[in-house]
Amino acid sequence: MNLVNFTNFDFDQLFAMNDETNPIMMLIWILPIVLFIFYGQRIQLLVTSNELNKAIKKLDGFRSESRSELINYVKNNLNPKNDPTKKIDQFLDYFTIMPVDMDPNGIVDKVRHTVRSREDYSREHVKLLSPEINNYELAKVQTLLEISSSLQMIYKIINHMFLTAKKQNNYPLILPLQMILPFIMEQAEAMRDAISPFKLGQPIGDGIGPMVVGKMMLNNSKESIAFQTSLAKIDFEDRTLFLLKAEGPSSTVGRPADALENLISRNKLDAIIMIDAALKLEGEDSASVARGFGAAIGGIGTERFQIEDIATSHQIPIFSIVIKQSVKEAITLMTKDIADTADNARSQLYEMIRENTKPGQSLVIIGVGNTVGVPQ
Amino acid sequence: MNFSKKKKIVMAFTVEKCTKCNAMKKRAFSEGDTLFTMSSKCISCGNLTSIEKIFGEPLDG
Repeated sequence: MNLVNFTNFDFDQLFAMNDETNPIMMLIWILPIVLFIFYGQRIQLLVTSNELNKAIKKLDGFRSESRSELINYVKNNLNPKNDPTKKIDQFLDYFTIMPVDMDPNGIVDKVRHTVRSREDYSREHVKLLSPEINNYELAKVQTLLEISSSLQMIYKIINHMFLTAKKQNNYPLILPLQMILPFIMEQAEAMRDAISPFKLGQPIGDGIGPMVVGKMMLNNSKESIAFQTSLAKIDFEDRTLFLLKAEGPSSTVGRPADALENLISRNKLDAIIMIDAALKLEGEDSASVARGFGAAIGGIGTERFQIEDIATSHQIPIFSIVIKQSVKEAITLMTKDIADTADNARSQLYEMIRENTKPGQSLVIIGVGNTVGVPQ
Repeated sequence: MNFSKKKKIVMAFTVEKCTKCNAMKKRAFSEGDTLFTMSSKCISCGNLTSIEKIFGEPLDG
């Protein structure tokens, strides 16, 4: 066996510090080391700042693009009495202060009140822009307003973090920003891409739940059971199905929890089945269907809390079917894979009904999600 | 950071299904198309078609 001999290094040769050493070569070695020791973080800050600057410019572009799309949409489609630009700019800067949660008792009601007050406020003020506006256009403008104001908020926060780090010449302060920025950019790009389907009234990925239930509601009499929420009653293999979804094709998620509360005060229910879009994990197939237990509903959490509360107090089991998708797929134009999975989800729903209920029982099926472009 | 992903152009399509013969037809989305509403006449049997799906597909190339 041949072993490498590590004992016979020539140190003079290795460090080349003898009389024949070229001083220029020495400087080439030593200068970068000194430079990186004292200015390493600043150099990194410069390189990272350059990358972040590009991303922030993109965010600024998304923000102004969404703002001008909204203003143009209002000007061209709603015939406003006056120039809406100033009013829209005021809306975009509106903020919501969430209730204090030091004492969590009653926090859900407080959050629900705050969120609904904000929704009511923006609805009333969009109406003021154009008094003859119909509910379909109103919901559309409200959604576009939400997208624009979210993009504005993202830009402001990211820019603030970046400028603070730069002002302080603080490299560690910029690191968390560098780490979260790809995720933020993904969400911001998704929001930018969501503008077009909402403007055109096309279904989005999140609308798969309402799409599955909406088709079952077709050709049946419907009633409005809660704000922007529709109910139909059908029979299926000796069972009574109450079908709930947001009132389409407007851009709304309705109020399924209020609807359920109203429904249960008038009927005895034996099961609740919720169909919703769910965020897929990386590596999972998009548009795959999964079944489970518990309330499948996103959002701020108030609707889920109310549904769980009703189910618990009446001892009703909640089953759910979810259609997996990415954040981008959920808020942009529905993909072919997701649209194709609607029939599969519906047949899994029928299977779930047969497996978990008996003939003669009643159950409610809730199609959860934004119902833009999906009527019933 | 990698923000240089090539952006694919997504085009919206409408799929119509004949209410009688179940023949399907895919065409480009046009403004005003709404799911489950009656659309054009079926090319096979002349009956009315209803809009079955509206979705986006990335254009090749």
